[in-house]
Amino acid sequence: MSEKDQYKNRIELLQGTLDMLILQTLQWGPQHGYGIVQALRLQTEDVLQVETGSLYPALHRLERQGWVQSEWKQSESKQKARYYRITAKGKKQLARDLGRWERIVEAIGSVMYVKPKESES
Amino acid sequence: MKWFSNFGFQRRNQELQEEIDAHLQMAIADRVERGEAEETARQAAAREFGNILLVRDVTRQMWGGGWFEPLGRDVRYALRQLRKSRGFTITATAMLAVAICANSTVFSWIDGTMLRPIPGARDTGDLVSLQRGERNFSPTPPFSYLDYRDLREQNHTFTGILAYHHDWITLTGGAQPERVYIANVSANYFDVLGIKPMLGRFFLAEEETRPAIPNVVLSYSLWKTRYAADPAIVGKSIEIARHPVTVIGVAPEGVVGAMPGIREDLWVTLDPLGTDEWRMTHRSGGAVWLNVIGRLRPGVSRGQAAQDLDTVMHNIVAAFPDDHLGENRITLDPMWRSPFGANGYMAATLPILLAFAAVVLLLTSANVATLTLVRFVSRRRELAIRQSLGANRMQLVRQMVLEGVVLSIVAGAVALVLTSWTSKTFAWFFPANSNPTVLNGSMDHNVVIGIAVFSLLAGMLCGALPAWRSSHAPAVEVLKAESASISGGSRNRKLLSGLVVAQIALSLPLLICSGLFLRTLRNLASANPGFEQDHILTASVGLNIVGYSDDEVRLIRHKILDRVSALPGVKVASLTDWIPMTLGHKGEDAYPEGYVPHPHESLQVYHAEVAPRYFESLHIPILEGREFTPDDDEKAPRVLIVDQTAARRYWPGQDPLGKNLRVWGSLFTVVGVARNSTHIFVNESPEPMVYMSFFQVGYETIVQVKTDGNPVDLAPAVENAIHEIDTRLPVFDVRPMRESTQMASSFAVIQSTLAGMFALIGLVLAVTGIYGVVAYRTQMRTHEIGVRMALGASRVDVMRLVLSQGVWLTGLGLALGLAFALGLTRLIARLLYGIGANDPLTMASVVMLLGAMSLLACYFPAHRAMRRNPVTAIREL
Repeated sequence: MSEKDQYKNRIELLQGTLDMLILQTLQWGPQHGYGIVQALRLQTEDVLQVETGSLYPALHRLERQGWVQSEWKQSESKQKARYYRITAKGKKQLARDLGRWERIVEAIGSVMYVKPKESES
Repeated sequence: MKWFSNFGFQRRNQELQEEIDAHLQMAIADRVERGEAEETARQAAAREFGNILLVRDVTRQMWGGGWFEPLGRDVRYALRQLRKSRGFTITATAMLAVAICANSTVFSWIDGTMLRPIPGARDTGDLVSLQRGERNFSPTPPFSYLDYRDLREQNHTFTGILAYHHDWITLTGGAQPERVYIANVSANYFDVLGIKPMLGRFFLAEEETRPAIPNVVLSYSLWKTRYAADPAIVGKSIEIARHPVTVIGVAPEGVVGAMPGIREDLWVTLDPLGTDEWRMTHRSGGAVWLNVIGRLRPGVSRGQAAQDLDTVMHNIVAAFPDDHLGENRITLDPMWRSPFGANGYMAATLPILLAFAAVVLLLTSANVATLTLVRFVSRRRELAIRQSLGANRMQLVRQMVLEGVVLSIVAGAVALVLTSWTSKTFAWFFPANSNPTVLNGSMDHNVVIGIAVFSLLAGMLCGALPAWRSSHAPAVEVLKAESASISGGSRNRKLLSGLVVAQIALSLPLLICSGLFLRTLRNLASANPGFEQDHILTASVGLNIVGYSDDEVRLIRHKILDRVSALPGVKVASLTDWIPMTLGHKGEDAYPEGYVPHPHESLQVYHAEVAPRYFESLHIPILEGREFTPDDDEKAPRVLIVDQTAARRYWPGQDPLGKNLRVWGSLFTVVGVARNSTHIFVNESPEPMVYMSFFQVGYETIVQVKTDGNPVDLAPAVENAIHEIDTRLPVFDVRPMRESTQMASSFAVIQSTLAGMFALIGLVLAVTGIYGVVAYRTQMRTHEIGVRMALGASRVDVMRLVLSQGVWLTGLGLALGLAFALGLTRLIARLLYGIGANDPLTMASVVMLLGAMSLLACYFPAHRAMRRNPVTAIREL
């Protein structure tokens, strides 16, 4: 399997969650790709490290779907960068993603934390 | 890639690169801020980012619609593959180029003739040519002026109807007299055609009937050559047959008149000198002289228009029954197959040749597909590796199809270059003749589009099929077992066999048709036309196109006959106004006394005006009565000689001698019966023919001489003898009869030449095809053959093994081809002469030829396999 395909698979694994994380990050204000990586690292205290190989394809896909918009702006450090901003459509999507995520967490939790039955001993 | 880059794609690529650069810059800046050294920070950031190229690649896939780049990559890959196997590439390209060129050449001929019937005219699809009476090829002009005028004024389905009549005339007044083709036209002629003058104006409606308005419109080429493109020509006076006429306009470049394939040089009104009043005020006989073309109103079908005109014609016939005996039904033809001019013949020949060419293209595609398939099989390792590296099947197929498409595009480009030359070879097929023919292929956007379609089709055929098959190969199997036993798998073997069978099946009908055409040509050449063609020289004298008075003309004719007869080497000299088998004929309505025509029977007869000793010089026997004598002149009672067809039709079981025939309103008495002879084509159905006395009603003057030796040697002497009478006499079309009559078989020559060439290509392709496949398969089975021989198979057994598959394929191909041929020959039955469409001899010999050639092609690989040393054969994988 080629390197390219490995990246593709990872996107698939994270799809949904990565999209949700990006959209959530953009809730706090427009941000560029590097900023999103940094923000997620800070937020999760280095637990989640987003691969650039997943991030940029995801950003470009989100833009194509109309959930984010981008424009070129100067950063505080005078660096010209592409800033992504969440759209109204993106906010709705985020709400949907969040709802789904909560259901998944609940469902997985109900499996993982269930008390063992006392029969069959 | 360069070819496929587009602006938007490049801009987005650029932005993505900038975005990634910005990311790296910010990461480096952060690290530097945290105290790292610049260089280590740069390396760390790059490492953290990962494979930039890959990130870019994957991101780009998110854009969608970015198919330009992969396509560009595939094209480059295809080119590299094709460069690697140069032998295959050159062979395949050459074969495809020839096949495409065969198609585009025939198509360019169709395009130049049938699809552009009237150069320069607007919307020729709305134009129809009108015919009255029985429908036939190259009819005589069917309408009188008055009938034409009534049709034009009383119809409800045409936006306009034009009429014209054309003939040779001589331009005088300049340093050198020049023979040109002049057309008398209705005033709306150019209007209906939709042509605007380049200089000056065309005719006005009121000029049509007012006699004696000697105005003339020049064609562009005449204006350019004879009048040196004089920009002030309009208003100047020129001389036509010694009459002064005024130039009122010049037609645009390329306009040559309304009859397909015929070039008109200048145009005048219907009665420009006021000398043709009789012709303008009568409805029958010599007043029937106009060809008519109409432009349909938008939305009107040809059927509706024909019905409309029939109604009008019916009223005309009812009002003037004596002028309209016989059949008067009106038929309309679109210009692409108009019986007037060349297109009637084209429509009968060229589409069939295009069908043949299409078969050649199919055949070639099958052959190239075979080569491609073999190539893909030998590349199966490469394909398997690519497949296991993640290329999906669609990508592989696309890649392989693309190789076929690239091949066919190159072949198409080569064909384009070739066709720009071959399209002009059409004119070669028409021998020098007395008509101003302008027939040739044309190389325009239609042909270019045609070539594109042909090559795309070929590319798909020879790329797609093998590609689809080859992509099936299970990658693991191929990679694991590199054993010869796989040999492309049984699927490929079936496809290969199928392709070989197809090639034989397609080439057989081509060979049979060309065999039939060749035998037709031979039959035509050896057929007895009923008159002597050898040792005859004819020369036209332009007596009535230079403006002599009637008395002068009479005197000169007699002088010509006297002087030419006296020439040494001349056996018999005569005069005529028609040469048989030159595609032309004169027709006239004739009313035999005491004959009651069947309903709808045409009373038209062919006629020719001939002087004494005409029949003697051509060896046409007079069966009853007598030949014309010098006494049958204008003072004597009108006489005529009929041929057997006319005699049998009008006076069955009676003695035709002494019977009367009314032509042009006067009575002619039959004085003789001549044996039937060919009029236009050897394979025509005989039409009644009447010969009239040249010195009574002769119009054009053609000197006909029977010579002792080669007629060509006498040409200068004959010309001199005529010029001694008057140096101004135009003498033209001086040529042996044998040469003139070639015109009658020119279409048979076209058919057999092209069909022969196509069949030869077919034969070569089919034989090389079967050779290639049998040789390839035998090579693949080398190991197996070695084993068989080691186990005791004899050389003959091996030979039989290899030959048997060749025999199977050949037999199957021949059987299918024969079935196909039986269908195809029905199409050409009409074009054959003296041979049936299913002629068993031709069929059998062609089947034998193809069968023998195929077996011979199989013999070589079989022989090679037989001679193999079993030990080395087994070792070989």
